[in-house]
Amino acid sequence: MKLISLISGGIDSPVATYLMIRRGVEIVAVHMDNRPFTDEKNLDKTLNLVRHLRTLTGTPIKTYVVPHGPNHITIARNCNRHLHCLFCRRMMYRIAERIAEREGADGILTGESVGQVASQTLQNLSVVNRAIKYPVIRPLIGFDKEEIITIARKIGTYEISTLPGLCCTIVPKQPSTAAKPEDVLNEESKIDIDSLVEKSLEGMYVFGPEAL
Amino acid sequence: MYSVLKPCKTSAAFEAIPRERFTLDLDLCEDIFRKVCTIITHAGIMLIVSDQCEVSIHKDGRLILKTDSGDVAREQAGRIAGWLEGTPAIRKHRDSGSLKK
Repeated sequence: MKLISLISGGIDSPVATYLMIRRGVEIVAVHMDNRPFTDEKNLDKTLNLVRHLRTLTGTPIKTYVVPHGPNHITIARNCNRHLHCLFCRRMMYRIAERIAEREGADGILTGESVGQVASQTLQNLSVVNRAIKYPVIRPLIGFDKEEIITIARKIGTYEISTLPGLCCTIVPKQPSTAAKPEDVLNEESKIDIDSLVEKSLEGMYVFGPEAL
Repeated sequence: MYSVLKPCKTSAAFEAIPRERFTLDLDLCEDIFRKVCTIITHAGIMLIVSDQCEVSIHKDGRLILKTDSGDVAREQAGRIAGWLEGTPAIRKHRDSGSLKK
């Protein structure tokens, strides 16, 4: 089995990735680069996390870095502010799905867990799922933060994930916790989704399995 | 104008909070800043510029200063305040007094 792992510089996604590698799953990592709404430290942390997972598990991990900042700009200029995180995640899923097709992968892997942040309510996860056809694997879905941190400490990713790095600055003050699918679709009709996905894919670059 | 500077929880940036409530017209800000620093992007809800460090400028006047140095952050916030002071880009709220540097 092969999965596309959406990996950030945070605590959760490296743990989710580790758990699935441990189950024998082949991983292709995809990092959505949120600059200029974050800083370069997040990319550095992510690449260090992939490097660490490779060393820890002995598994080479091909890694894509996709520019996501331009997508944020288009969304922010055109769509409902409260739904921004939903649009962001749906874009990430769409891009990951296209990479999955290219890589012959079976699904998308994320570090999402219910209720951890506003965008990760069951209702919102349902809305995000509808953006793609591929299955989304969420090994941490029922974990609480302390449980995730315990694993992260055990596997040595916690120290890397908690190094300084700027959180996404375009997150709305009051993100929607219960988005309605019809509202999301209506807002998304204001932007050219296909064009954004294509431009993101054109701008991405890749580190081969042995490169990190 | 920006009397409070506090490190973000990640300590990778500083946050400058306006002393008094006001709203920024980011389109006018862009016109002003274009003459004195580099515009990275105007995302409608925020403007990102680069000067001594990269700065996210929000409509409510809040600044996120992307630097590890408190000195650089304070100086940068002061420079932005200086560029904005007395321009039509600042819309004061009725319940706020005169802007003080």
